[in-house]
Amino acid sequence: MKRNILVYIGVIILGIYFLFPLYILVLLAFNSPKYTILKLYPSLLLQAPTLNNLITALQGTAFIDPFIKSLETATLVGLITIALAVPAGYGLSRIPRAIAYPILVLLLVTNMMPGIVIGIPIAVDFIKLGLYETVEGLALAQTLITLPLASFIMQGTFSAIPSDLENQARIDGANLFHRLFSVLIPLAAPGIVAAFLISWMFSWDEFTYAILLMPFHSTLPVTIYIDVTRGNLLAGIAFSLVFTIPVIVLSFALQKYLKGEYLAGGLKG
Amino acid sequence: MGDKNVKLNTSFFLILPAVIYVLAFAFYPTIEAIYLSFKNPHSGFSLVYYNEIFSFDVTGAIINTIIVTVGALALQLIIALIVASILSREFFGKRALSTIVLIPMGIATVVAAVTFKFIFETSGGYANTILHTLFGLNVNWYQNSLMSLFTVILSDSWKNTPIVALILLSGMSAIPKELYYAAAIDGAGPIRRFFYVTLPNLRRFIGISLILRGVQEFNIFALPLILIGDHPPLLTTLIYNLYQTTFPEVGLALAGATILVAFILVFIGIVLILSGR
Repeated sequence: MKRNILVYIGVIILGIYFLFPLYILVLLAFNSPKYTILKLYPSLLLQAPTLNNLITALQGTAFIDPFIKSLETATLVGLITIALAVPAGYGLSRIPRAIAYPILVLLLVTNMMPGIVIGIPIAVDFIKLGLYETVEGLALAQTLITLPLASFIMQGTFSAIPSDLENQARIDGANLFHRLFSVLIPLAAPGIVAAFLISWMFSWDEFTYAILLMPFHSTLPVTIYIDVTRGNLLAGIAFSLVFTIPVIVLSFALQKYLKGEYLAGGLKG
Repeated sequence: MGDKNVKLNTSFFLILPAVIYVLAFAFYPTIEAIYLSFKNPHSGFSLVYYNEIFSFDVTGAIINTIIVTVGALALQLIIALIVASILSREFFGKRALSTIVLIPMGIATVVAAVTFKFIFETSGGYANTILHTLFGLNVNWYQNSLMSLFTVILSDSWKNTPIVALILLSGMSAIPKELYYAAAIDGAGPIRRFFYVTLPNLRRFIGISLILRGVQEFNIFALPLILIGDHPPLLTTLIYNLYQTTFPEVGLALAGATILVAFILVFIGIVLILSGR
């Protein structure tokens, strides 16, 4: 009994710890500014709930432009990632583990290289190539973050499809592309959707490449940073809240794929 | 046999685009960065950027980066161990807690940083509201660099503990229950069981989370940039500052970048040796 009480004390403390910052974000977004940013000791209660903060901030192009940039970039990142990860995942699932494993590790190692190290030479090269400050350029760079995890997911998905099904189609005379598009991809659809959405979400969140490669008319994270550091606080808060909603929805929908096993995937072996 | 070779070849052909992409967009720029940092635009090999970068407090930035990395890793491991130990048992409300614990994963780093900026504001911050109400205190969170780094460590740990907890939880669920029964029969209490059964069996998982998170800690960028700017600088914020002020001339920033890469490689080496692989 005493042990149980200890567990519940732990549960309550952890619950408060993990929820507190989110609660503060809600207070900042929905409390009247005179109880939040204008007060020396801001109130911990929702004293004067209002929608004015959000309405004022979200009107006009200040919000729409970066919002569309983020939307375009994230969607393009999802598409590029799928185009690379679906064939790669299929190929990896069909070669011996001893060869597939080092390739997966190679993909994972790229995730360990700092964005700020990779991003600077890319920025210089992009200026020459005309890709600086473009959605296409940013999406190409951000795919670095999404490709390793997406390849793991696709490799796992294709490995789970019995090779008998594919062999049957092969005997029936279907060539590789036929097999891929009429047998394998429909069966792998849930994994593909998950890989797309995770890539979309990672890009939506991405900051380092965005600020290096698209510093002027950028995506939402960079806009939020600029707003907050230049004192445009209410806009920064409102954007943060709107920006967060799709991510929270997606991360709960995709819980299954964001487990430790997947994230630690290649290293566990 | 021939058929098998054809199959292997097609598989490699399908993997090739992803590998080429990674080589072009990750390996080539990294090598380019290192190469250009040692090259004077007018002559060949030179250390001119490295001589110059030390006038920008790169030593301080290195020390600060190490403080943040060690502090954040320690805090994340401790909290994640508590979370995983609680979530590995059965109790009423387990589902609710495991959902709440995942929330920070769904919050973008930038949003977390903005929120913590408002929590750790010296005048008009929520942390001071609590401290003032309870103890009549008003803390200046940025009075010295250690305090500033502490706010970075706290904020970063909130955001990244869930991933560590998930990895450790999957490790804990793989420990055979018999080990605990045997230890209990031998008279080991819960604390001894934790230190003699749980921790040794988690070794590999702790190693994995240390590598995954440790490298990300060295790369930590958006959070300190928003919370403390570059007062005091970390390696990443110093590199960004040099990049921004000298762009499109990037030699200085790349010298910083090369130092960062060196630290990451050393760190990975140390963790690999320690976790015994």
